[in-house]
Amino acid sequence: MRGRVRPGVFWGAGVIRVSVAILVIAVVAFALLPQQSQFLFHMLGEPLADLVAVPVKGMATVDRTLREWWMQYIALQGLSQQNRQLRETVRQLNGEVNRLREQAYRAERLASLLAFQEDKSVRTVAAKVIGRSVSNWYQGVILDKGEDDGIQEQMGVMTPAGVAGRIVRASMSTSIALLTTDPNLVIAGMIQRTRDEGMVQGTSQELVRMKYLPPLSSVKTGDAVVTSGLTGGFPRGVLIGEVSRVEESDDGLFRAAQIVPAVQSRHLDEVLVVVSPRSPEAMPSPDHALIAPGPRNPTP
Amino acid sequence: MKISAYTLLTLFLFSFQVTLLSSFNPFGIQPDFCLVIACLIGFRVGPVHGLIVGFGLGFLQDLFSAGPFGLHTLTKAGAGFLAGVFARHLSNRRPHAAFVPVMACSGLSAMVFLLWSRMGMGLGEMLYGFSHILLPQAVLDGFVAIMVNWVFGRWPVEAPSS
Repeated sequence: MRGRVRPGVFWGAGVIRVSVAILVIAVVAFALLPQQSQFLFHMLGEPLADLVAVPVKGMATVDRTLREWWMQYIALQGLSQQNRQLRETVRQLNGEVNRLREQAYRAERLASLLAFQEDKSVRTVAAKVIGRSVSNWYQGVILDKGEDDGIQEQMGVMTPAGVAGRIVRASMSTSIALLTTDPNLVIAGMIQRTRDEGMVQGTSQELVRMKYLPPLSSVKTGDAVVTSGLTGGFPRGVLIGEVSRVEESDDGLFRAAQIVPAVQSRHLDEVLVVVSPRSPEAMPSPDHALIAPGPRNPTP
Repeated sequence: MKISAYTLLTLFLFSFQVTLLSSFNPFGIQPDFCLVIACLIGFRVGPVHGLIVGFGLGFLQDLFSAGPFGLHTLTKAGAGFLAGVFARHLSNRRPHAAFVPVMACSGLSAMVFLLWSRMGMGLGEMLYGFSHILLPQAVLDGFVAIMVNWVFGRWPVEAPSS
């Protein structure tokens, strides 16, 4: 009789009816009053999130330790081959560094001539990824920092490589970031070379698309896409990715581009949350917010 | 006692799914372990138990989800309950019997998410979500359910007396 179920008190028809009734009421409330019911759920769950974060953080530590052990084991397998490749890469990079150093000196001189003010006030908070999406429908990560550390909803999330996503929910000790590859996240972007602006949105295929580019835009494969800084959350000029294909939109009014994201969401371990994307003195006053020109450097 | 066991189970399962299990995604699809467990508890212990565990697991998932609040709670609770109701009309409780109810519940739950998360994004996104996320996940959840049900079958499961 292994696995047989013994009827108990919970098994009564009355209990089932009540349960079904509660479930139906909840579903109807959720369908008819989505905002209010979500607010209610949120209010009930907010205090619980910090409590639940404790086992999640513990399990994340175990996960990280196991992954590091595994990576060390894998790393040992191809160590000599990797050494050879790295030496070759270092040689190439030395040459590249030298060339870039020259360009940096030149850019520094030009910047001082044009009196560009370097924005030093972009403040970020470093956070660890302690968990990943709870479903296949939303690509998000759970961060170990929350409102106590100054993190709030709509703040940008990035890594040294580029844009990673945006905070969509924050509790006292944790926060949830929606990644750039999610179709529900839209960021204002700009083609770095041509300065053409558009909207960057994820796709279900875990790629990123840039939409609403001007029809006469000269965007081409290999162009870098950066944040335009027009919407909150990100400073101007953070790398989003690289154009891999240029397309015409179905209506022919705009161009679109497929982008390979700069940040691989599956390999995120640490991120930076942009707490303050620009300095207060650099912010345009409300009266001039729409007309104040940003630093433009058009390159045809 | 049973409530404590369910609380610990939900906490452990949720933490397990978002950390250790997040690396396990065959064909780019991550099985919804929480849904599978809610369905199996409904399947083996009873619909009310499935509903309670599904509600708890879904609520935790909602707390840490990037999507709207409440969807996981309602779909998991509904899935646990439906699997339990399905099992009442089933004489065969062998491991593979869990495949169809879990797959159906996973598919229904995923349909809610598909409509909610991809609404207004065009037919292409909807069809891609249906063929590349919904269907594979439903089948994968069904197979995971067979394995977990087989493990459950090693130990007798009894409904509580209170």
